[in-house]
Amino acid sequence: MDLSLILGMAADGFPDRVAIGSSDSGLTFAALHARVERLAAALPAGRPVVYVGPHGEHAATLLFAASAAGSPFAPVNGRLPREQVVELVRRLDPALVVCTPDLETALNSTAPVVITTARLDDLEHVDVPASEPSDVAVLLYTSGTTAAPKAAVLTHENLLAYVMETLDFGSAGDDECLLLAVPPFHVAGIAAVLSNAYLGRRVVALPAFDPTAWLQAVRDQSVTHAFVVPTMLARIVAALRDNPTLAGQSLRTLSYGGARTPGPVLEEALALFPDVQFVNAYGLTETSSTIAVLGPEDHRPDPTDPVAVGRLASVGQVVSSVEVDIIDEAGRPVSTGRSGRVRMRGAQVGGSYLGTGSTLDREGWLVTGDLGHLDDDGYLFLEGRADDVVIRGGENISAAEVEDALLRCDGVAQAAVVGVPDEEWGERLAAAVVARDGVSLEPDALRARVRELLGSLKTPDQVVLREDLPLTATGKVLKRVLRDELVASLQPTT
Amino acid sequence: MASELGKRYECPSCGGQLLVVAAGTGQVLCCGVEVDVLQPKKLPSSD
Repeated sequence: MDLSLILGMAADGFPDRVAIGSSDSGLTFAALHARVERLAAALPAGRPVVYVGPHGEHAATLLFAASAAGSPFAPVNGRLPREQVVELVRRLDPALVVCTPDLETALNSTAPVVITTARLDDLEHVDVPASEPSDVAVLLYTSGTTAAPKAAVLTHENLLAYVMETLDFGSAGDDECLLLAVPPFHVAGIAAVLSNAYLGRRVVALPAFDPTAWLQAVRDQSVTHAFVVPTMLARIVAALRDNPTLAGQSLRTLSYGGARTPGPVLEEALALFPDVQFVNAYGLTETSSTIAVLGPEDHRPDPTDPVAVGRLASVGQVVSSVEVDIIDEAGRPVSTGRSGRVRMRGAQVGGSYLGTGSTLDREGWLVTGDLGHLDDDGYLFLEGRADDVVIRGGENISAAEVEDALLRCDGVAQAAVVGVPDEEWGERLAAAVVARDGVSLEPDALRARVRELLGSLKTPDQVVLREDLPLTATGKVLKRVLRDELVASLQPTT
Repeated sequence: MASELGKRYECPSCGGQLLVVAAGTGQVLCCGVEVDVLQPKKLPSSD
């Protein structure tokens, strides 16, 4: 069984529905299936097929065709610096690279065959010997916020378990449409193609995210469902704050995930989209996307119920096919309500990386770098990354908590907190803050406000105002880069 | 009972689960007995 089974079922069940594109001129499931079968016949088995480009028809076609051919599909971010793109592609040792025309020259020597997306439909044969069909479906570079990126391995079994265990085949209404704003090299971008084909839901891709273009696409394409990462949500909220008339009426469900969402952003989004159902999805690249879901009812709790209101800060309940628990530093499970490291196991959990093999323990657990706790009803609360804790004078301070406080200060658009070396304290708290457009901020006023909210222990020792923060393509702050930049700017070498 | 595309079944005897990936007219049997239709789980769509 491979991922192309999903498309085969969709083409069988609803051949004339549009799979991808606009409702009047998009590609139907039958047409996409035919295109995939033709392309799969041209691909050699067992060698990675790399794609460097925006999400949409080409990425979806290659994902299914590579699977049908028995070859891993490996999407790579083309917006990184050129040398880095070349390096990431080379490490995959691909048989075929498909890229946008602007990257063709740079990538020319990375694989036996390099073609542009424009020539994909004419591809008849890739002249590379086939090998054993691979059970690897997808190779995805992790975001590398705290370490260098590594290629996570997801098998057909992992991804099919995710789709088939959590979704009901063909259950989408024929008027439904998902707006795809995440790139193909993000696990949510892969999951969206598979899930929506299985549901029978049309997908429209937004090649590059921009909040106005996103809101425009919702209106133009009668979009009913969308998934965004938190930075996209924050920018959509800011655009609507300035111009509420941009809101479309068709949107029913707005899912978000991929990183921690600041409370203030979510609260404003709920107010700006009063009739939309919000869903928070938590998962990792290594878990084939979502493993916990905070549903629509949880997002609009009874304001007099403090437990229900508190759960808005959780990532929801774990899906039934995955087990999650929390362990202490010695690796022993802790009781409900206690904090520790989050670990998980189940059929959709991969946990292997290219070149290093499986990182699962003997009992099949994937121990993550996330800290959190579970409540009595199984709601999972995340408390930041284990490596995103600043230890100042022996006290553990969660960077996420301080970031949330900064975001509650008037005029703050983005905030990131890191620990920088300090002779007296071991580490001290340094915050980088980006102001909203047209607002001028005072570092000392921000520090005073955080002291009111959190007390002096958790008040940043330094607040640096910046034009922007170093981000990954999907909006996670690159803390290792930020830390280096702050250390360099705060402690000039003499 | 004909098998319908995308329907899930569970064997009342061994607990094994089946997913129909191509529709057909035959009966679905496991352990010599007819399998039960599984009601789909209602989950909010996250992608």
